Amino acid sequence: MAYTILILVTHINLGIVKLISEKGGVNLSLKSERINIGNGIHLNLIKTSKFKSNLLSFYFLRPLSKEEVTRNALIPLILKRGSKEFPNNLSIQKKLEESYGADLSIAINKRGEKHVLRFTVESINGDYIGDKNYIYGVMELLKSIIYNPVLENGYFKKDYVEQEKENLRRRIEGRINEKRSYALDRCIEEMCKNEKYSIYPLGSIEDLNILDEKALYEHYLSVVKTSPVEIFFVGDYDHNIISYIKEIPDLNRGEILSLPREQITSGVKTKNMVSEDLDVTQGKFVLGFRTGIPYEDKLYRGLIVGSDILGGGPNSKLFKNVREKESLAYYITSTIHKYKSLMLVDGGIDFGNFERAIDIVKEQIAEVQKGNFSEDDMEISKKSITSSTESIRDSIFLISEYFFSQKLSNDYRSLTEIVDDINSVTKEEVVEAMSKLALDTIYFMKNSKMMG
Amino acid sequence: MDTKTYMNERIKEKLDYKKMESGLKVYFIPKKGYTKQYAIFATDYGSIDNMFTPVGEKGKIELPEGIAHFLEHKLFESPDNSIFDRFSQLGADVNAYTNFNRTAYLFSSTENFYESLGLLIDFVQSPYFTDENVNKEKGIIGQEINMYLDNPGWRVYFNCLKAMYHKHPVRIDIAGTVDSIEGITKELLYKCYNTFYNPSNMVLFVIGDLDFEEILKVVDKAEKKKSNETNNIERFFPKEPREIREKLIEENMLTSTPIFYIGFKDSDIGYSGEKSVKKDLVTDLVLDILFGTSSKFYNDLYEEGLIDSSFGAIYTGDKTYGHSLIVGESKEAKKVYERVVQLIKRPSEELFTEIDFERIKNKAMGEFLMGLNSVEFIGNTFIDLYFSDFLIVDYLDLLESISYGDVIERFTEHLVEDSMVLSIINPLAK
Repeated sequence: MAYTILILVTHINLGIVKLISEKGGVNLSLKSERINIGNGIHLNLIKTSKFKSNLLSFYFLRPLSKEEVTRNALIPLILKRGSKEFPNNLSIQKKLEESYGADLSIAINKRGEKHVLRFTVESINGDYIGDKNYIYGVMELLKSIIYNPVLENGYFKKDYVEQEKENLRRRIEGRINEKRSYALDRCIEEMCKNEKYSIYPLGSIEDLNILDEKALYEHYLSVVKTSPVEIFFVGDYDHNIISYIKEIPDLNRGEILSLPREQITSGVKTKNMVSEDLDVTQGKFVLGFRTGIPYEDKLYRGLIVGSDILGGGPNSKLFKNVREKESLAYYITSTIHKYKSLMLVDGGIDFGNFERAIDIVKEQIAEVQKGNFSEDDMEISKKSITSSTESIRDSIFLISEYFFSQKLSNDYRSLTEIVDDINSVTKEEVVEAMSKLALDTIYFMKNSKMMG
Repeated sequence: MDTKTYMNERIKEKLDYKKMESGLKVYFIPKKGYTKQYAIFATDYGSIDNMFTPVGEKGKIELPEGIAHFLEHKLFESPDNSIFDRFSQLGADVNAYTNFNRTAYLFSSTENFYESLGLLIDFVQSPYFTDENVNKEKGIIGQEINMYLDNPGWRVYFNCLKAMYHKHPVRIDIAGTVDSIEGITKELLYKCYNTFYNPSNMVLFVIGDLDFEEILKVVDKAEKKKSNETNNIERFFPKEPREIREKLIEENMLTSTPIFYIGFKDSDIGYSGEKSVKKDLVTDLVLDILFGTSSKFYNDLYEEGLIDSSFGAIYTGDKTYGHSLIVGESKEAKKVYERVVQLIKRPSEELFTEIDFERIKNKAMGEFLMGLNSVEFIGNTFIDLYFSDFLIVDYLDLLESISYGDVIERFTEHLVEDSMVLSIINPLAK
């Protein structure tokens, strides 16, 4: 398949705001059955026959901290190399291929100040291949990878550990390859210097150097014993599948970690201006704002709508003014970071236009704060938020992520309620929410060689 | 009136078809229970089509690099500047893309689908170019070009194409360059538009929990009635030698690890329809058996630390060009290249077993079926296959029909050292 250039609305999913909504109607309802199957372990079942596949995911939750971030990041990479039953990558991959191309994926993310390790398999529904039972093999593979790693002298296998340390080192160094996400990360790092949210989820190279197979195996044991675990199955299932998933090692889990809600800072003590001089063709800027509005607060909904009016889609003030009117940028957007109540505005421009672009951003924010936007703008943003979130029900993966985020934010409103809440946002609420913006940090990516 | 329904029981999908009087072909896949609706309106015109005979003229012209992509941006103009607003008001998310071979306009929605569909057809058929709006776009696209210039993955890819191709326009950047787009004018845009945006050169694909009759009513009402059917647009391609242009291109830029693309230029080209799609599929199976995550090659090099999980291989092609790409990151890209050379020189019966072949084929079938969960996957795949004269509903059967012998044969003629190139992006010297 050919490479494509996507224009207009650059959808870069930074794992930030995801709101969900539900349309009425019987066959559209999404329900999760939540069962406690062990100390701190919950199985969430979402029954649907809409998809051609089934999905099984395990999420392990950890605190996001300097002490353990690099260890956490390495564990899925090492586990994915082999288990007792499938001792190397070759045997794992063959098993997946024999299972009609079942997809095994791992992910290491931060959600607010929580570090989340995810292990997932998605496999084709047995109806399509005339083999109802092969799914047990796929589930066995996933459980084996998580709970039964290959050991050598009682610890992780040394070769696997060394190779994955090297791979992780390259991935950490590779942050710079994606300049836009690098710029956003750097802004957050500077802005949240004294908060855990600044921690890069793949860890740091200094920490890598001191880790060995023994330290990592010991950490692994504490991950499987002390982490809250959320398991999701989305698809068509019966009793046998449920009881099969429930069979996971007991491990004598003792005290389970409790992960506190993130602290929210409002107002700004010291304003920050950071610039990096890199050999790049395009200049980039990121403006980091604190809103101080927690997601539990009713006003948070006004912030979501306000950010969309400012820099959501092609109807937004930033798109219209920075891009369409002044031709300064190809992308210019505003996004909310839910768990820390931050708002980031980022754009890519010529080096000479930094000041001009930032002036326009400030002007447009002031417009929103003054209430200079129409009912129509409100409606458009509400529709856009509703529509993109309703679409989640068409993706087996996003359905599981949605129920997981419910758990993360302790927000069990029904889907219909969430959409209704967005639709009930008033202009006054948008103005009030946006008036709380406090500019904290400006990050520039520049190139002195090209700036003359 | 030309109407048809294609059913495929194995994939449990149905495809409806109708050709409108204007010559526009409309296809529809119903997706019961889906919230999202998706429509894509595409023309058989991409960045490689920049030498052609304009409609109503004689003789060929050659246009500035990047004009197809520029035209895509500019179709979003209207006298009252309202296209984005109107989609936004309907709650639909509109977008577009240009690649080597085609330009596509699309939207997804969860409500007001039929109104949005009417709007899509209407705006794509209502060009409005002025000197002012054409000039204004140069700044925006200039920033888009610069964004890609800073992307090492994009640069290493285009350098690989430049190494393989002497003259074929696939070696040219899809968006052109900051300089080339300076030469674009409204007159040139109209020439391209009038030539390539005829209904008979286009296709409309719709998917969602929708009604085909209703879709046809909207199309009939919204589309421009007069059609100057130009069934055979004359396109010209410079004569491209079979041989590669240069063996190695290396460049330095801001990146962490060296990135490499190994290319195999395909000399077995010129097909369309089933033959062309089958060749794509067979080649992808060959590459997956040799370089996929269950291959000996992948696992050996991974354990030696020569490659990481970014390593992969893919075939891509069209009627006038084709190539296999083996890509990844490595501190020793040249060593990886040497290992590929050694590998392809080994006898095919050592490299391919029937068991591996069957397993990899099952995987490809399963992955395709899983893709059918996504309306975007179906839409984009439909368009790709459609312009190769092939329908998505026949894809699984074609994949299944591939034999072990097909794979051996393709390997032997395609993966040869003479057709190989290497492109590397190295980090800047410290």
